Amino acid sequence: TMLKGMTRLISRVHKAKHGEQHEGQHYNIPLQDLKAVFPHGLPPRFVMQVKTFNEACLMVRKPALELLHYLKNTNFAHPAVRYVLYGEKGTGKTLSLCHIIHFCAKQDWLILHIPDAHLWVKNCRNLLQSTYNKQRLDQPLEASIWLKNFKTANERFLSQIKVQEKYVWNKRESTEKGSPLGEVVEQGITRVRNATDAVGIVLKELKRQSSSGIFHLLVAVDGVNALWGRTTLKREDKSPIAPEELALIYNLRKMVKNDWHGGAIVLTLSQTGSVFKPRKAFLPQELLGKEGFDTLDPFIPILVSNYNPKEFESCIQYYLENSWLQHEKAHTEDGKKELLFLSNTNPGQLERLCAYL
Amino acid sequence: KAGCPWTKEGNLELLKIPNFLHLTPVAIKKHCEALKGEKGFHTAHSEEQHYILQYLKFCTEWPAALDNDEKCEKHFPVEIETADYVSAGPSVRNPKARVVTLRVKLSSLNLDDHAKKKLIKLVGERYCKTTDVLTIRTDRCPLKRQNYDYAVYLLTVLYHESWKTEEWEKNKTEADMEEYVWENSSSEKNILETLLQIKAAEKNLEVNKEELLGTKEVEDYRKSVVSLKNEGDNESTLSQYKESVKRLLNLT
Repeated sequence: TMLKGMTRLISRVHKAKHGEQHEGQHYNIPLQDLKAVFPHGLPPRFVMQVKTFNEACLMVRKPALELLHYLKNTNFAHPAVRYVLYGEKGTGKTLSLCHIIHFCAKQDWLILHIPDAHLWVKNCRNLLQSTYNKQRLDQPLEASIWLKNFKTANERFLSQIKVQEKYVWNKRESTEKGSPLGEVVEQGITRVRNATDAVGIVLKELKRQSSSGIFHLLVAVDGVNALWGRTTLKREDKSPIAPEELALIYNLRKMVKNDWHGGAIVLTLSQTGSVFKPRKAFLPQELLGKEGFDTLDPFIPILVSNYNPKEFESCIQYYLENSWLQHEKAHTEDGKKELLFLSNTNPGQLERLCAYL
Repeated sequence: KAGCPWTKEGNLELLKIPNFLHLTPVAIKKHCEALKGEKGFHTAHSEEQHYILQYLKFCTEWPAALDNDEKCEKHFPVEIETADYVSAGPSVRNPKARVVTLRVKLSSLNLDDHAKKKLIKLVGERYCKTTDVLTIRTDRCPLKRQNYDYAVYLLTVLYHESWKTEEWEKNKTEADMEEYVWENSSSEKNILETLLQIKAAEKNLEVNKEELLGTKEVEDYRKSVVSLKNEGDNESTLSQYKESVKRLLNLT
């Protein structure tokens, strides 16, 4: 219908050309891109929306535009800059991160995406003592899942990038120097015991080699505050495990430091899914704590807030166009005012409210 | 009977009411006017007038030179607050009257930086940061006089102890610090490291630490980090921090 074009950008407009004039409008991510770029990145409710509407549309908003501007002007010779998206619950931090990831993927960056760092510090079973370092613990399940998704997202790089040293897995298996990185990933996927070490190797090699200029590296971590908080995990003797005792966390911490160049680091702070943090917490120092802040400093904090009037209107229009709002009052001014009041222009709240209409 | 302290039993004085609560203000004024009119003559006084005369001996004029709060504070920095209780009953005693509150501004005391910080740590909740007032409230002794002496004693001991530096004070860690100090902090180290790397990328190896850290951008950054740490996160401190980092890292 004619109305459909109103809130959409013509899909031919390349993402790189997203600018301020596009603020508030939705842009379409082709569905085949979704599988390749986001094997594990999209928030569950958004995935449901994509399935329902049979299309993936993200709203172009200020925080992402700001970030895109910085990224487009990245000086790859300088240390990687840390950008931290923060904001109240449901304002759109994760989706802003996804927007950035899609942009970088289209620009052919290598994407190192940890979709929810909180998953690595809670409810993990089958922890093993690390063979590499006895003080640390492996998380075979989490590591192998991540490796599978990493492979899907970055398939083409895995044969291009070669490891720069020999890695010995056990008495019979080893990966020779100069082998493609894909072999390390395969080893981790097939031999789950080695998965955590494989992740560590991937991280180490990527960090080392991004400086060489073969590829640009985007480190994207959602819920980065999990790295310096507490875990809910306990050893067999019921003693609590600190985050740095988990090999995955230990290695990930190294990736968010700015002692490498050739890419960028985009992080979000998230209370959702975090452990031992009050529900209303969203400010950087609250969620990161002293250790986290001191590690990430200096960083660029970027606030993600609720919808402004233009964005709110655009979101309602989008739902109306997709025939999502069935209530007869939904398109009236009064109906919109009611939604505005009930949701307080919070994107997450609005989406939940509209799900019932 | 004369010369021997009166016993409690059958003592008429104890049965008399020890306060003037039964008089109206008008009546008191009349009595006082009558007394004022006397110039040393022996006149017959009523019971009430007798007592008023006794009390008047202890009342003096407020010193004229102390006509504002600043002068009072300057000459008498220590403020003692006590409460007396009257009730319509035979006994003058009231256990609540033993409480003594001592207040003093720390700026009136001669304390150097270390002594002031130590004293504040020692007294804990008793110090109010916004008014700079130390409040010591004592009530553990049964008598007002004893509590007053104890409060003064506490103040003296606190003062002397804060000036001393003990062995265990060497173990003060970053977590014990009252306010954030940027020098030698991890923030300073991080920014130095980052700037050095930036310079290295530009093939500029001839830089030294003082030069790098002496620029205006670093100074603004330092201020923003100190605000952030001392005041906490808010719109103003965060945006100040953001702008200073952007300038430091040359982000448009």
